Amino acid sequence: MTRFEDPFKTSGSPESPRSASRGAGRGPFSTDSVVVGTSARMRGVFDFVKVIANSESTVLITGESGTGKELVANLIHHSSSRRHRPFVAVSCAILSETLIESELFGHERGAFTNAIKERPGRFELADGGTLFLDDIDDVPLTMQVKLLRVLQTRTVERVGAVRAIPVDVRVLTGSKRDLRVLVAEGAFREDLFYRLNVIPIQLPPLRERSEDIPMLVDHFFRRYFRSRGKELKPVSPAVLEAFRRYPWPGNVRELENACERIAQTCICDSVMAGCVPATVFFQKTAGAQPSVMSDPEHPAGVSLDDRIREVEANLIGWALKASDGNKSKAAALLKVKRSTLGDRIKKLGLGHLEHVAPDVSPAATPSTRGQ
Amino acid sequence: MDLHARIQLVLGRLRPYLQADGGDIELLDVSGHKATVRLTGKCAGCPSAHLTLHVGVEMAIKEEIPELEELIVA
Repeated sequence: MTRFEDPFKTSGSPESPRSASRGAGRGPFSTDSVVVGTSARMRGVFDFVKVIANSESTVLITGESGTGKELVANLIHHSSSRRHRPFVAVSCAILSETLIESELFGHERGAFTNAIKERPGRFELADGGTLFLDDIDDVPLTMQVKLLRVLQTRTVERVGAVRAIPVDVRVLTGSKRDLRVLVAEGAFREDLFYRLNVIPIQLPPLRERSEDIPMLVDHFFRRYFRSRGKELKPVSPAVLEAFRRYPWPGNVRELENACERIAQTCICDSVMAGCVPATVFFQKTAGAQPSVMSDPEHPAGVSLDDRIREVEANLIGWALKASDGNKSKAAALLKVKRSTLGDRIKKLGLGHLEHVAPDVSPAATPSTRGQ
Repeated sequence: MDLHARIQLVLGRLRPYLQADGGDIELLDVSGHKATVRLTGKCAGCPSAHLTLHVGVEMAIKEEIPELEELIVA
């Protein structure tokens, strides 16, 4: 297992103040708790973080929910020369427009109802350090203007204040959506996008790096069996196989939660299929090919015809299996005429599926047991 | 295809994993809109397996067979 090596060998970084709007976290961040994994894409991300950590430029971290945007932001901060100053993380998703303004920029006493005393904003709290604005894609347009001005002038004005306060903050942002798409739709300001996207980092979804799953499972089981005061238990190959095939829509966070739950509930001497939340077995398996849609810079072209044929073949295969190879029933399931189905089967060369018993075993059912 | 066979088909997606670990799930009875299953082998007596499988299996079966109303784990 490879862990991220802190290039500055720091220890005992001061605990970062955290926004009330985010979860309690898992104690002080430590670079030792970061698992790099074996996938080339994640190694690339971590190598890149070492390169850009000490830059003062803004970083835009894009990735689906649960892919580790805040972890990467934390890692950048703790690898930078700002690491002895605060790291402040704030999610812009659940705050209303007026709340975002007072949360980020602070307010003066009496600026609005309930503003009974003055309060510094997140920018001021992060002074000298790093501010991570997560869910930047949820910031409303009017607020984007104000954010842009702060980034340009490096000063903030508290709500209700007359003077501007200079701040020295490195800004990192996180987005679950591709901001370029939002720019094209007119939902995100182009000038702010360029200001934020000086250094882009893309985090892959877990289903596109399933080779990292065994290492992550080992890491989380160590953590959660230990917190329950138990010895680490061996994991059966069937469980690992199911984990590898499940598409993990909630990414690493979902995997971590599953591991935590298993560590809390498993009472046998190894982690077996019966110990695992059963939804993992019933989901459609992760596609062999990464989704093109999630990668706007996909280098290779995609054949629309091939992809449509693929979808068609999958659906027909499913319908034939579900109806025991009976074409009339399969046609009814697919809401097409029987003759239409027949034509498609011929066209796609799926004749072999017509009268076979349903194949219910996963393609790579583990034949070995135990470790 | 009758209800019994359709439930077996859904259970069949889980079964290879359970069997690989020395367990199994048996469909005992289908009556009306209720089905009864039982865990056998390794996981038979485990309260955690009982609970984690019940929720997941019931969800998966209901998703594919909407007319099934209740799954009982004996």
